[in-house]
Amino acid sequence: MNALEIKGLSKSFGSFKLDNLNLTLPSGCIMGLIGENGAGKSTTIKLILDILHKYIGTITILGRDNQDNINLTKEDVGVVLDEVGIPDCLTANQVGKIMRYTFKNWNDGVYANHLKKLSVPTDKPFKDFSRGMKMKLGIAIAMSHESKLLLLDEATSGLDPVVRDEVVEMLNDFTRDENHSVLISSHIVSDLEKLCDYIAFLHKGKLLLCEEKDRLLGEYGIIHCSANQLSMLDSKAVLHKKESAYGAEAIVLRNAVPSGMNISPVSIEELFMFMVKGVE
Amino acid sequence: MKGLILKDLYMTAKYCKAHLLIIAASIGISLFVSNVIFIFYPCLMSGIVPMTLLSYDERSKWSEYCGTMPISAAQIVSTKYIIGLICSFCVLILSGTAQEVKMNHDGVFQLGDWLNLLAMLLIMSCVAVAVTLPFIFRFGVEKGRIAYYLTIAIACGVNFAASDVINFNTDAPVLLNVVYLILCIIAVAIYALSWYLSIVFYKKRLIK
Repeated sequence: MNALEIKGLSKSFGSFKLDNLNLTLPSGCIMGLIGENGAGKSTTIKLILDILHKYIGTITILGRDNQDNINLTKEDVGVVLDEVGIPDCLTANQVGKIMRYTFKNWNDGVYANHLKKLSVPTDKPFKDFSRGMKMKLGIAIAMSHESKLLLLDEATSGLDPVVRDEVVEMLNDFTRDENHSVLISSHIVSDLEKLCDYIAFLHKGKLLLCEEKDRLLGEYGIIHCSANQLSMLDSKAVLHKKESAYGAEAIVLRNAVPSGMNISPVSIEELFMFMVKGVE
Repeated sequence: MKGLILKDLYMTAKYCKAHLLIIAASIGISLFVSNVIFIFYPCLMSGIVPMTLLSYDERSKWSEYCGTMPISAAQIVSTKYIIGLICSFCVLILSGTAQEVKMNHDGVFQLGDWLNLLAMLLIMSCVAVAVTLPFIFRFGVEKGRIAYYLTIAIACGVNFAASDVINFNTDAPVLLNVVYLILCIIAVAIYALSWYLSIVFYKKRLIK
């Protein structure tokens, strides 16, 4: 079963338009939704949760249409928003008591374990937390009500590398269960590169690609050569190129390039940058 | 909804200390001063509590976070009305008891007068919450606040105009004046209507 299926999703407000988005997140996988600020990542997550309405297309979460008793579906979905959303005066202990009466499957023991594992203070008010602590509390809440799907909106942005590593480790642990899946959005590509099984590029409301990460990395490469050498390549092999007085650099399809050429591995960040510039 | 109420109680204890202090001070002063404003002011203050909580919810983005949980718009709205009722009930009990003590001390206690006073307190409490919340759920806290202060101004004006007419020491022929009884029913109906309207307004506001 797919954890998430989005088909033909379009939504516009003001000058922004999310245009015909199609995404499928298989169970047991982590998908990174990469895009610059304003690309439509948060809009997509809000549409999935039915926080935003009046859209075209269909969204299926854990096999259920999101228009069909979304509150029941939300029991199985853990969410961390960019700003978390906990009132400043509340402590982690108080939040736990509140959530106990909010989620049917809330587990106090699991919550306490997560807080301990992540070193989140239990009696300190939320306003005194660092951004990293706030995110860790958000993640602890999201993972303490037997969630099958986690939706994380910019959850790793602004975290220091140590905390980011802890979060990555927790998410990897979470998806060891094949019924658990994660959709995580970020504009910091390197965060998602080591974490995700699937990568989706979103740019100005349009999906540029949605592929398995390993396949992307295997399919594309980067070459550094002269402008003359580059011009000899089949145009279909070159995804995007950058030329300067010192030479040329291009993202290429490995299979379409003559075997003698030296192709370096491409990072997801480079691929995203080249694709966005190619569109522009 | 239990979780939402618990959260609001935690927040009331933290953020509304000043409100609770003013309510306690007003009730205390009303024991020694005859001006009715000190009797009714706690009712108006209790109406500020749900508004204050909504203001903090907006600031912390709690309202947005709620959208990710299995909580309906009706539950979010209803929580504030229930908190309003809890505050009003507490004020009614405390003010009512204080006035009973004062009337007994002054040797002017009559059950009918005291019930009429309780009715007035109930009306003021209901109206204070009922007028404010629909505006806040429709337009947000800032514009809703303006509506609230207008309500206070109108209530003070009515209180000033009525202070010559209402005399708690009259020999009431019936236990509870029928006019007050009717006004109480109207106030409760207004509260219920306001509750319903707030749910409708909030759902509309969520649809973007």
